[in-house]
Amino acid sequence: MTKQTVEIREALRQAIDEEMTRDGKVFVLGEEVAEYNGAYKVTKGMLAKWGPERIIDTPIAENGFAGLAIGAAQTGLRPIVEFMSWNFSFVAADQLISNACKAHYMSGGRFSVPIVFRGPNGAAAQVSCQHSHCVEAIYGNLPGFYVIAPSNAYDAKGLLKSAIRSNNPVIFLENELDYGDKMEIPVEEYLVPIGKAKVVREGEHVTLISYSRMLKHCQAAADEMAKKGVKVEIIDLRTIKPLDIATVASSVRKTHRCVIVEEGHIFAGISAEVGFQIIEHCFDDLDAPLIRVCSKETPLPYAKGMEKETVPNKERILLALQEVLA
Amino acid sequence: MKEKTHYNYFQFDQKKLIAEIGKEALLDSLKKMLLIRNFEIRGEAAYQQGKVGGFYHSYMGQEAIQTACIAASGSDHWFTTTYRCHALALLLGVSPNEAMAELYGKVTGNAMGRGGSMHLYADRLLGGLAIVGGHVPIATGAAFTIKYEKQKNMASFCFMGDGAVAQGAVHESLNLASLWNLPCIYVIENNKWGMGTATSRAICIEPIGENMARSYNMKSYTLDGLDFFSCYGGFKEILHEVITTNRPVLVEVITQRFRGHSISDPGLYRTKQELAHLMEAEDPINRFKSTLIENGFLTEDEYKNIDKEQKDLCIAAMKFADESLDPDPITLEEGVFAPEDSQ
Repeated sequence: MTKQTVEIREALRQAIDEEMTRDGKVFVLGEEVAEYNGAYKVTKGMLAKWGPERIIDTPIAENGFAGLAIGAAQTGLRPIVEFMSWNFSFVAADQLISNACKAHYMSGGRFSVPIVFRGPNGAAAQVSCQHSHCVEAIYGNLPGFYVIAPSNAYDAKGLLKSAIRSNNPVIFLENELDYGDKMEIPVEEYLVPIGKAKVVREGEHVTLISYSRMLKHCQAAADEMAKKGVKVEIIDLRTIKPLDIATVASSVRKTHRCVIVEEGHIFAGISAEVGFQIIEHCFDDLDAPLIRVCSKETPLPYAKGMEKETVPNKERILLALQEVLA
Repeated sequence: MKEKTHYNYFQFDQKKLIAEIGKEALLDSLKKMLLIRNFEIRGEAAYQQGKVGGFYHSYMGQEAIQTACIAASGSDHWFTTTYRCHALALLLGVSPNEAMAELYGKVTGNAMGRGGSMHLYADRLLGGLAIVGGHVPIATGAAFTIKYEKQKNMASFCFMGDGAVAQGAVHESLNLASLWNLPCIYVIENNKWGMGTATSRAICIEPIGENMARSYNMKSYTLDGLDFFSCYGGFKEILHEVITTNRPVLVEVITQRFRGHSISDPGLYRTKQELAHLMEAEDPINRFKSTLIENGFLTEDEYKNIDKEQKDLCIAAMKFADESLDPDPITLEEGVFAPEDSQ
């Protein structure tokens, strides 16, 4: 198998490009995706290759263009909607919530909505209160969406290709700070299936569950623990919904202890859901209460030090691991 | 007293239109208007009997608009409308049985009892959508598909109420459609009330369509929603305009609704006398019927027969709905996701 080293943004671009080649109904629309080459350069060079019919700059009108894309999906196309930030999806919330995830059900199965909404989610570098929210708990609460959050280039490419081929609306969460992360991936085409978590580090003493950017902090914390002889098993959820509880449960049954790390807020978050499902499935296997590491209950402050203390970091994960093992 | 709004109504030659459409098609349109009227009467009766739940928004008084639109344009387009959706569904081929069964929440219903009164669909009807203004971007997306796929002689029709005009989604859609030359026909059915709020208390301009269209560099048409021929002639010309210019058009149709906003609205904002006068003097079906009688296409007895035929159809639909099965709770959580293709 031939390998190539790519950044996450390039892996995403390859996924879109390959799927556009495969299917003429796939197109991209969003703010600055064409002439500007994408706010984070995911769509760099795509206008030149595909032209303005399939790489489409929109006005700053998320409600309008998200809804337009849903209507296009219902009538046979396969749009990829780029939100410059997932925070801007709140302007389009009515379209996502009332139309995208309900049209198939509500129409008695007459219409489907094959659409991908993608863009950077969560905190970046000091972009403050209105540009740093994690949306997965909000959209994950709605039946009808798949919610995907890859942590590396390999998964980003394979999962985005699966998302584009899906006949259902997909919330695809990227991370601004990770777009430049490099990884060796195959040159040949591959898919990563939706709904499958991955054990990214085998361990035996404690299960550490997370997704997206937080995986980095988990790896760093696990490295520290390894020095003390503690073998941490790390699970990358990759797909948040549908949740691969089987992979999670079999790990927890092995380690009997579990910490869940989520960049979003603690109240009614993804970790609450994962944690509760663990209790439903493996209550008798647990040797210690579950522990969550999440963002603190505040809009994300601008000041650098305050920002750092709000979002989960290696130190807080280490404390949680020590506590769950105590 | 508020000055009466001056509308620049679409000009048409009724005699010419009558000759063009012909007796058979005119009688067919009358039949459809009577089907809608009778369906709404029976649907409301079923609601009063407790057979229908949720909300019920009647199209009574507005029948001429969508009937004439489909008669003039054909059904091979995309259509999107509001929660006041029974008429358009019936016009686009949904049978009274499956529409009524959906109102009853039965498994034989149009959407298997999942959507109810506000969410009816057909192969070319994208809903039945119940967030005011929220369906307008969807219709705009259907117009986008027509352009993307280079489909000829097709348009996307978007019906909305006057109340929707205040929504940002409408503004964003009109801007996108005009900016991108999308074949979308936006139809504001101005029935003068957004629930219980008079249009003049919600929208800062009158006429709405003629004024707004200019802001979006779009052509506008104003039609008389009580007059079948105004709507027929108007929609015929509008569709031609849209498919030849590939430009969207904004239409305002001046109409009346005979019922409250929904069935739970007692309509206390207008007097019984006002409403009685409206239903007598400004009934689009009466007006259409008189014209057909004057032209020798119809007698009073024939009208009664057509009306009875449609009434019987709707009563039969009530029976069908009543006797249909409720959805089996075992199917709960089914149908949320579309089936995936095997990779």
